[in-house]
Amino acid sequence: MFEKILVPVAYGERREELKKAGKLLKGLGASSISLYHVNEPGSFFRGTDLSWLTLLAEALEEVGLTVEVKTGGGHIASAIAEAALLEGADGIYMKAKRRWHIETMLLGSISRDLLRLADTPVFVHKARPRLPDDEMEPEPGNLNVLYATDLDEASARPLPYVMKFRGAWCHVLHVRRRMADPATEQTRRKAVDGELQMVAEELRQYYEHVTFEARIGDPATEVLHVSDRIGMDVVVLGRKKPAFFSAPMGATAERIVTGSKASILLVPQSGDHNDS
Amino acid sequence: MIREYLRREGVFLLSAGIILFFIGFGIVQPDLLDSFSSTVHAAILDNFSWFYLISVFFFLIFVLILAFSRYGTIKLGRDTDKPQYGFFGWVAMLFATGMGIGLLFWGVSEPLVHFLHPPSFIDPASPDAAVFAMRYAFFHWGIHPWAIYSIVGLSIAYFSFRRGMPALISSCFYPILGDGIHGTAGKLVDVLAVFATVFGTATSLGFGALQIHSGLTHLYGISSAISVTIGIILIATALFMASAILGVEKGIQVLSKSNIILAIALLLAIFALGPAPYIFNVFTSTLGGYINNIIDLSLQSYPFAGFEWSRDWTVFYWAWWISWSPFVGLFIARISRGRTIREFVLTVLTVPTLFTFVWFTIFGGSALHLELEEGAGIAAVAGEDVSLALFAFLEHYPFAGILSLAAILLLIVFFVTSADSATVVLGSLTSGGGLVVPNYKKVVWGLSLSAVAIVLLVTGGLDALQVMAITAAFPFMLVMIGLCYTLAIGLSQEKVRE
Repeated sequence: MFEKILVPVAYGERREELKKAGKLLKGLGASSISLYHVNEPGSFFRGTDLSWLTLLAEALEEVGLTVEVKTGGGHIASAIAEAALLEGADGIYMKAKRRWHIETMLLGSISRDLLRLADTPVFVHKARPRLPDDEMEPEPGNLNVLYATDLDEASARPLPYVMKFRGAWCHVLHVRRRMADPATEQTRRKAVDGELQMVAEELRQYYEHVTFEARIGDPATEVLHVSDRIGMDVVVLGRKKPAFFSAPMGATAERIVTGSKASILLVPQSGDHNDS
Repeated sequence: MIREYLRREGVFLLSAGIILFFIGFGIVQPDLLDSFSSTVHAAILDNFSWFYLISVFFFLIFVLILAFSRYGTIKLGRDTDKPQYGFFGWVAMLFATGMGIGLLFWGVSEPLVHFLHPPSFIDPASPDAAVFAMRYAFFHWGIHPWAIYSIVGLSIAYFSFRRGMPALISSCFYPILGDGIHGTAGKLVDVLAVFATVFGTATSLGFGALQIHSGLTHLYGISSAISVTIGIILIATALFMASAILGVEKGIQVLSKSNIILAIALLLAIFALGPAPYIFNVFTSTLGGYINNIIDLSLQSYPFAGFEWSRDWTVFYWAWWISWSPFVGLFIARISRGRTIREFVLTVLTVPTLFTFVWFTIFGGSALHLELEEGAGIAAVAGEDVSLALFAFLEHYPFAGILSLAAILLLIVFFVTSADSATVVLGSLTSGGGLVVPNYKKVVWGLSLSAVAIVLLVTGGLDALQVMAITAAFPFMLVMIGLCYTLAIGLSQEKVRE
């Protein structure tokens, strides 16, 4: 499922860091990496020597991965999303860079754009899980995964990816709005508990420990709260088209990516295609 | 045991406690109460008059969007529910809801006062001032008040008839408060509704008592001392309390229906005895101006010239309507079970509004005709004492004595029926939304309404009534914004065909 990964890189990427990321990806089942660089229009480095890319590729090859190097141009996030489709990548891996909040507000961030545009699952690597050291081998079996679902079609699609992590603990979190009256609320609560129970049963063969929880509130706020409360490494969620009124606030996924310390795997809904 | 009682009667005890404290404070320290309420009122107006305008405009847009959206087909009741009343019976009840003390009090005086004291950019007592006066009378009594009532009515009807919850404002907050509607937050919402209803109704009762007194002074030359106004309130209180406690609902209904017939008869008499073509022209041109300028009127606070005018009139009216909204909203919800949201909104916005337009055109238009064409000098009387304007106007008609007596009778009956209904509504709001209200609660609320009206009249007269209406409405306006949100959440959970 994560056999071929597209890894976007920019000039100045640290070789050692990429090598650690390669180890992690290999641990998650990757065998082939497409190292992709986008020449930004007007970039100072455009058309110059790209030997640094070869050095990065070598670093990944040292981990035991097959690497091919590709370059493209145009709007960065769009070019990455397009390349992932053309290359037939199973996912896109990005290491989130720290940026000043004001800068993100003014310029937007590539990872946020990519989350909105990509038709391929995107893994945004944040502070957790920590990348393995040189001497240490990654241990995906220790991962704690939070699977955020609203139990509809968009949220069912990430389930195979959740299974793929095969971590130590999977916490299934369902967040929804409260129903409009107590009777409907009670019926809904029972139905949700039943469905979460079924999802948890499905996941039990892949994880040592599976728990589930239903909460009422704003999805982004609750996912961030729970993820921080129990110190999850990865949050897996599906992407849905944002409702009209939520657009100025940002889609739930974007808000989670911005606020989360855990890494995010965002799986787009099939048919939720961007025309970009 | 006591804990259970406090929990069950929390809304009643808290709201009655606050109102009794207010009455006691007004009796012991009237000057302090006046200065305190004026300070709060000034702070609200200085900082939030724009908020009243934008909120009420939002309420109008919100109900119109609901009516014309796919949610418009949702029934206020179960899908199988049939309307409780036939269409014409329902329309007649809505029509009657639009009538009351306010129409009699302001029907003549409002256009005349605007005509005499428009904002500074309009020449007073000019034809432009007359156009402005009629347009604003239509605006203040037009679809905006009914949009306010619709928000409360729709919310209560939706959450009680369709979602099976008690007919309380707090029930509408279940989507955000959950079981918290039975806790402090829910009780606070209901207390704010009670608070708004008491002051909104007391304001109307105060207006009614002032006008009855003016009419009696005008007709029979009785003393104009405030003690007479208090005496009128006490007599009317005895009447409506007797009706509320003895449970003479049928008697009250007969009285109410007779009063509406008498009001329509008075309206037709003024129309028949007045300049009919002139009145028709006033109606069509004012309606055109109102429709053409409705967005500007809705959001106009005249910040460069006339800001105080807007605060004194438009903001006062919006606050007064908001303070009446739990009362009227509850009533129109109760009679609208089985109607769709579209039917409800469109009928509630148009039927009572058209009637008030006709009322203002006949009374206000005829008064302006007397003023502009015949130099009757009624505007000066209205400028001096708004409660006297109606009787000064009727003096220019044949059978003036009979017409004035009919107007006084109308006012007394409206006073009694409004106060009687308000007592029952307040009782219901403080009894978990039930229709069976214990007598002691009726006594407490009936006496409270009259006592608040008296305290306000004694401490500051007409101004004090307006000040308290605005102050009490402000928190409830925030509750109404919450109602829009929770109604939207509730409706979004409905399965409606696109």
